[in-house]
Amino acid sequence: MSSSAHGAVAAPGVARLAQHFASLEVQNHAARLGMWLFLSTEILLFAGLFVCYASYRFLFPEAFAAASRHLDLTMGTVNTVVLITSSLTAALAVHYAKEGKNNLVALMFGLTIAMAGAFLVIKGFEYSHKFHEGALPGPHYRMEAVQLPGVQLYFTVYFLSTGLHAFHVIIGMSVLVWLMIKAMRERNFGPDNYVAVELGSMYWHLVDLVWIFLFPLLYLI
Amino acid sequence: MSVANESQQEAHNMEHHGAGRYYLVWGALLVLTLATVLTGRMHIPHFALVLALVIASVKGTLVLLFFMHLIDHKGANRLVMAVSFLFVVLLLILPIADFATRFRPSNPAGSHLSDLPDLNFIEGKTGAHGGMGGAHGGTGQAAPGGHAAPSPSGH
Repeated sequence: MSSSAHGAVAAPGVARLAQHFASLEVQNHAARLGMWLFLSTEILLFAGLFVCYASYRFLFPEAFAAASRHLDLTMGTVNTVVLITSSLTAALAVHYAKEGKNNLVALMFGLTIAMAGAFLVIKGFEYSHKFHEGALPGPHYRMEAVQLPGVQLYFTVYFLSTGLHAFHVIIGMSVLVWLMIKAMRERNFGPDNYVAVELGSMYWHLVDLVWIFLFPLLYLI
Repeated sequence: MSVANESQQEAHNMEHHGAGRYYLVWGALLVLTLATVLTGRMHIPHFALVLALVIASVKGTLVLLFFMHLIDHKGANRLVMAVSFLFVVLLLILPIADFATRFRPSNPAGSHLSDLPDLNFIEGKTGAHGGMGGAHGGTGQAAPGGHAAPSPSGH
């Protein structure tokens, strides 16, 4: 029985309770509040880029509208649907974690990760098309089709915001890979031990949340 | 002890419920995506941005409440989100109010709040935009045609 210095190794389906928490409920509550605080800082991080977007769009409305019509709306829409569906599977993983169905948790996260990969591949095609056209930020802009003051700023904001978002997709994928492996190896998620799944899934929904705002603002001016 | 009460309440709220609501939210998000694409492509004058933001906010609220369970996480969790959105709105409004109320010549050249032309888009001025002679004439854009002639269309 005597195991690690960590105290009781969790029995199947039972979370490890840190000593400084009065009860599992209090520990879970603190974990969720911590996650919301972290996500609020993430929202404010992206808000900085949204402010750049809003300011430059306010100053250069024609250039932003013209540049936005040079994005691939079909790919953008497909990516939106992919990301929303990946959010559904992430939410379902929490649902199955509460039921203790560890195989289904792993499957749902596997699907989420696959869709995240698809999102990045589609995004990569869009980027390579932009590089090819010369629709690049700042002084590197050389797309003939749109020659308006401020158009380089649109592509600066486009690459910064979608790039930061793609970076978050990659972080989210890593977190979900870790949770998927945990579900497959330890098979320990259950009605009293699902908060890790819940928080990982919350991170993924944040990635979706940011894209929900980026998509219409970038593609549909 | 109120923390314990709130924790218990939250644990109770998070107790198992069917997966049905996740599928419903997913369906609603897909419908709203379709709505934003269709209305966005119409380029409705004046209201396009407001409409896009309203649809995105509804979608975001659905994700927050149901996928991220903010409907079950009450109290401090909601306060954190509400405060963060308040700051996002402040962060958006103040710089725009700044640009909108500036002395015109201090806004970036070439913007619609400036009377000065953007030198990057004047023929022969730029290396980076080498072949733009033709494109410049052909786009029928709104760049102020010439020099810093004070345009009466300013306000």
